[in-house]
Amino acid sequence: MPVDDIPLMSMLKDRMSWLSKRQELLAGNVASADLPGYTPRDLKAMDFEQTLRTSTAQLNAAGTLATTNPRHIAITSTHSGYEETENRDVAAAPNGNSVSLEQEMIKVADTQAQYQAATNIYAKAIGMMKTAIGH
Amino acid sequence: MDFTTSMAVAASGLRAQSERMKTIAENIANANSAAATPGGDPYRRKIPTVTTNFDREMNANLVAAGTPVADQSDFRQQYDPGNPQADAKGYVKLPNVNSLIEIMDMREAQRSYEADLSVMDATKTMMSRTVDLLKR
Repeated sequence: MPVDDIPLMSMLKDRMSWLSKRQELLAGNVASADLPGYTPRDLKAMDFEQTLRTSTAQLNAAGTLATTNPRHIAITSTHSGYEETENRDVAAAPNGNSVSLEQEMIKVADTQAQYQAATNIYAKAIGMMKTAIGH
Repeated sequence: MDFTTSMAVAASGLRAQSERMKTIAENIANANSAAATPGGDPYRRKIPTVTTNFDREMNANLVAAGTPVADQSDFRQQYDPGNPQADAKGYVKLPNVNSLIEIMDMREAQRSYEADLSVMDATKTMMSRTVDLLKR
């Protein structure tokens, strides 16, 4: 049984990839802080219910297509497409750029803290499994 | 799970800002560079530009410094009839560089550079957190 089959693990994996994707967008925002006409982007917040449903669906394969023939190709649900949003709360500079470095820094710090939380939970879960195995 | 892209984007921002800094340094250094020939034009201020280009391999928008554009505003005029570079009326043309504007620009570039560095720092911490999972 791969570790990904455990709902908690797959949820954490999903969370971590969402956070790394967000970090990528935030890096783009900060790098484009002086680009004329640029609007900062962000990811749409993760929906816990949705995540829970997909991760548990993966376990009992209810949400995926059944492979009844060896020649069938299994479709695994990958979350590569997170929804991007454009953030327009900040008044734009004269050159049309509306990146607020302060806000981006807060988001970066937040993403980092969330990531730390996810990895810590991941490590704890592995530790619990080790306890169960008797290590 | 791709932190290298975040790193590359932040690095492109650093590069763009340092390129911008170069143009600003040129402006400040040439703030008093008069024309080489009498009546000629002195140093013309360059405006640093920033552009974006899509990197297919990385699937991300990288930032780059564009070619600086010439500032078309009027040159400063100084009455200095004894100067060999003065025109018939005794005025010397001086560059259209305003050091106050340059300092402002410099501060902005510096601030953006620091922000890019913090993003890199945060990304690096996240990367090492992931690697740390192997230690358990």
